[in-house]
Amino acid sequence: MADVVFPFPFPEHLDLILPEIIMAVMGMVVLLMSVFISKSKQNIVAWTSIVTCVVVAATVLNVAGQDVTTTFYGYFELDAFAAYAKVLMLVATVFAMILSLNYIKDLANIGEYYTLMIFSVLGMMLMVSATNFVVMYLGLELMALSVYVLVAYERDVLRSTEAALKYFILGALSSGMLLYGISFLYGSTGSFMYTEMGPLIASSGEDARLAVLTGMLFVLAGLSFKVSVAPFHMWTPDAYEGAPTPVTAFMSVAPKVAGLVVFMRVLIDVLPGLQEEYTTLLIFLSVLSMAVGNLAAIAQRSIKRMLAYSTIGHVGFMLLGMIAGTSAGYAGILTYMTIYLFMTMGVFGIIIMMRRDDIQGELLDDFAGLSKVRPGYALAMACLMFSMAGIPFLGGFWAKYVVFIAVIEQGHIILATLGVLFSAIGAFYYIRIVKYMYFDEERVAFNFAKELPLQVTVVVSTLIIVAVGLYPEPIMEMCKSAVVGLL
Amino acid sequence: MIPLSNFLIVGAILFSLGVVGLFLNRKNVIAILMCIELMLLAVNINFAAFSHFLGDLGGQIMVFFVLTVAASEVAIGLAILVAYYRQRRSIAVEDINTLQG
Repeated sequence: MADVVFPFPFPEHLDLILPEIIMAVMGMVVLLMSVFISKSKQNIVAWTSIVTCVVVAATVLNVAGQDVTTTFYGYFELDAFAAYAKVLMLVATVFAMILSLNYIKDLANIGEYYTLMIFSVLGMMLMVSATNFVVMYLGLELMALSVYVLVAYERDVLRSTEAALKYFILGALSSGMLLYGISFLYGSTGSFMYTEMGPLIASSGEDARLAVLTGMLFVLAGLSFKVSVAPFHMWTPDAYEGAPTPVTAFMSVAPKVAGLVVFMRVLIDVLPGLQEEYTTLLIFLSVLSMAVGNLAAIAQRSIKRMLAYSTIGHVGFMLLGMIAGTSAGYAGILTYMTIYLFMTMGVFGIIIMMRRDDIQGELLDDFAGLSKVRPGYALAMACLMFSMAGIPFLGGFWAKYVVFIAVIEQGHIILATLGVLFSAIGAFYYIRIVKYMYFDEERVAFNFAKELPLQVTVVVSTLIIVAVGLYPEPIMEMCKSAVVGLL
Repeated sequence: MIPLSNFLIVGAILFSLGVVGLFLNRKNVIAILMCIELMLLAVNINFAAFSHFLGDLGGQIMVFFVLTVAASEVAIGLAILVAYYRQRRSIAVEDINTLQG
């Protein structure tokens, strides 16, 4: 029998992928656990998942920061940037799982819920570590397919299934567009590796120009869908409104982080030769997102829909950092996402708390008079709303400040002015909620159940937002060191 | 020998048919799933053609990944569709209107 010769040596530095391995194994363990553990003890499953996320985050921090950053023949990279994004996504997932603890309890098959969440985070972790389009695409699909199912998780509720259907159709369309773009970029370079494609695209001649531009256009459109940038945002309000609220919290942060990180990597590594072209495109997308997000949110009566439009607006602000195209801009995006994470989780904690008896607690009117019954929550909500609006000196102010400064440094004064204008318009609908809470009469009786996990989430995120507002340097420094070596 | 551009034109036509079908279709969600499949297959034609003309195997490997993912995507899509049908008792596109604002 002839010796079988493996064409490649066994990959070295496999410890870099250890967090993903733990995540994948624990996803399956959690699924099995939920089958073997009795119905009354399903909380063990939930806590196992939460602990898994924390352990994986610790592992990421532990294995990152070595001299070697790539493994699997350069197909997988764990640099400071990817490590920061992974920790961010895992923190978001831990928050979302804590929010789910009591919400999901009444539904069957808790194990499936947490397994899906774990697998979608696994997909995101692979996405942000990918150095080529194949791995990126597979990670993206793992994330997207899991999130489609999570949105449909309340399968006895019409709006949940309808939201999932809409999200699925538009998500599949966006994957198709992304792939079509990738096929053209592959055709004009003959490679899927970001860093090999970059120089080839930059030096491509006139005859390849059409293919390269088509590829860029479709790839950016596909990624814009995933991070819900206008005009590719149609799915966002429906999916946010229909999904179970903890899932909405999850999908408004974690997939956005992953999508934006891939967006940045593609711009930096694959398309540096087309900076002029993509900057024009991004300016259009950014202004449109800020406009659509902040104007359409005013008309919403449901707070989940309002937050969906608010997300679109926030992503528009984040794109400003990419338009700047400097390391200050990219660090600004990471700062923005970090602060946005805590704001969103706090707000969704309060929304879930508003759910009582048979009231969903998702209409803006439901907040009327909250300050008289629960002054503490009203204060937390007010802080978070002011922070979202970008009032100094709360976390949200610094998030906007860093991206605005980054674009102003690059001479886009008009763009920064527009950004400030739209954030002023946006302040209206955030502060309207504060008005409802403090100056309106109570319409529906509040009788909150005491739910420790929610209270902890709300208190922790509000405190972080206030603390970051007063002392933003540590987060900004962390983000700056995360983007070192990226450009 | 058939030139590369012919393959790309076929791919572009199929892809456009998929996209147009997705938006113009007012009848049935199943047809939307077929349109999505058409788009992904158009992409596969592109990958296979580029792979052949570049003499690089990467594109053909990508085709296998895309096929696999497309299969799982449709499986999940159909599952969501069944869950939706159980609630709404209809899969006509014009009936998908509960969420609006």
